Amino acid sequence: MTRILLKSRLDDCLASWQSAGFSVLAPVQRHEMSTFGEVQKASDISLDLVLTERTIKDHFFPQTEPLIRYKIGRQQIDSVTMTPPERKRVFFGVRPCDASGLAIDDPLFGWDYKDDYWFRRRENSVIITIACTQADDFCMCTSVKLSPDSTKGADVMLRPLANGSGWQVETISERGKALLDTVSSLIQEESSETAPPPEVAEKFDVGKVMEWLADKKNFESQFWKDIALRCVGCGSCTFLCPTCHCFDIQDEGDTYQGIRRKNWDSCSFALFTMHTSGHNPRNTQSTRWRQRIMHKFNYYQGKFGVNSCSGCGRCTRQCPVDMGITETLQAITNLPR
Amino acid sequence: MGIQEQYRNEAASLLSSGEVKLVIGFGAGSTADRRRPLFACTAAEAEQFVLDSACIANLSAYLVTEGLLTDGKKVAVYLKPDGLRSINILIAEAQLKPEQVVILGYAIENGEVKPLTGRSIGDFTDLGDRIRATTPPPAVVQEAERIDAMSSDERFAFWKEQFSKCIKCYACRQVCPMCYCRRCIVDVNQPQWISTSSHTLGNFEWNLVRAFHLAGRCAACGACDRACPVNIPLRLINYRMGKEVRDAFDYCAGENSGQKPVLASYSQDDSETFIL
Repeated sequence: MTRILLKSRLDDCLASWQSAGFSVLAPVQRHEMSTFGEVQKASDISLDLVLTERTIKDHFFPQTEPLIRYKIGRQQIDSVTMTPPERKRVFFGVRPCDASGLAIDDPLFGWDYKDDYWFRRRENSVIITIACTQADDFCMCTSVKLSPDSTKGADVMLRPLANGSGWQVETISERGKALLDTVSSLIQEESSETAPPPEVAEKFDVGKVMEWLADKKNFESQFWKDIALRCVGCGSCTFLCPTCHCFDIQDEGDTYQGIRRKNWDSCSFALFTMHTSGHNPRNTQSTRWRQRIMHKFNYYQGKFGVNSCSGCGRCTRQCPVDMGITETLQAITNLPR
Repeated sequence: MGIQEQYRNEAASLLSSGEVKLVIGFGAGSTADRRRPLFACTAAEAEQFVLDSACIANLSAYLVTEGLLTDGKKVAVYLKPDGLRSINILIAEAQLKPEQVVILGYAIENGEVKPLTGRSIGDFTDLGDRIRATTPPPAVVQEAERIDAMSSDERFAFWKEQFSKCIKCYACRQVCPMCYCRRCIVDVNQPQWISTSSHTLGNFEWNLVRAFHLAGRCAACGACDRACPVNIPLRLINYRMGKEVRDAFDYCAGENSGQKPVLASYSQDDSETFIL
């Protein structure tokens, strides 16, 4: 006997959470784009997507975030710190790769300085992951040692039933338990079979890749120049990545007042590393692409003991020139040793 | 011999004779229906070129890569008519020398790939007729007409929703052959003219600046629209701006390389008493 949530009870479930003061965000199609958006009822939710085009990262680390409102007077500067909204949120129907992305980024945002904007949102959010039952050509979670039913980053895990009527419910964290307690009357005990997770073939050998990247003599390898030749230098792979977290601080306003903002930035852009002198230490696209791969599979690992990739495959899926992490890591795997 | 093999052989002989230093074409992609840009510097690498109806990208954007043509050597490139149009615009804007580009031209008609005769941009004399005879996809025209029929408030609301999706990844700019500025206005940060924030105002600023900058210069290849990861219908903007320029000046960008850029030239007979 396991605990089951039936799809027919989802509307009641959402209503319970909403009346308990939660906003519910779930996969939706809005203006020809799939993303996580606030929903009122079960029929608003697109549950059949392999993955939304946008990641849930957007709701923890938004593309632009006001930090301080300031006013410059004759003798003094007045400033007001702007804090993120306190509202409680439930993220329903998160894919394991996106949930893992949050867990991968936690140590980064809490490392030398605890980023309140990230953690306040993290602490006020409950992640309900739904295990995958389908994958597409770009999914690669198994290649980075995760899986289509990984519970990493989840507070509650739902496993779709084979008959499609609902989900098997698994409590992962205390926060998840507290949320499920509010809907305990909607969850029933039953023995039903769960749908098998999809086969996601391993596309590269991440161990071999990390070994090659760690070898300092490969830093200047011709490989980087060849693989990045067609990269056009846009930021779509970084901005659609569930773990990319780089940002820039910008003051927006006039001479006397303005708002200091934290805006997404991307290592794909030449401006990212441009010095005031005009010198740019990463002055070609190949050095920028190398940075992205090194950061994810070498530097981040060295600092936090985990790779900064959860295998969602959006970098390849959405790339205008069909590049991405998979191709590069496959090529590194297959390099003559 | 099919066109794929014919062009492969041609690319290989251009490379082995030393006539060109590089051929830019298409290779197999990460899935069966994808093609990706492929750069060949040797005859052996040219063996991997693919040419079929899935080869829709406009590869001319790579020709304006910084430093590519500064050595005076030639580069060959696979181009459809929209790519030829781009080449003409780049020549008109003094960004390319015609003699540096060898063209492997093709057109996709009813799902079939047909060769276009000519190797130098000047050979494609019927390009203007071809462009004027090409009708934009009916879905684009219909959608553009629907938006034109809206009240200005409705239209503003429509674009506000669309632009609110923008994440400022600049994929539209990066794949565009006409976005060759070494320093784009959004990257000029002393002072920061255009906000880098992707809030509503910042997104309007970026998308409108790009729309205005492309007026009378767009080759209608659709690269920006396909590249946009958040599906903003950029085709509608470009179609509308192109129509405006055509109606006002009877001008189709890229018909031939002898054109003067419509918004960057003047004549003594112009009715205006000023130059903006």
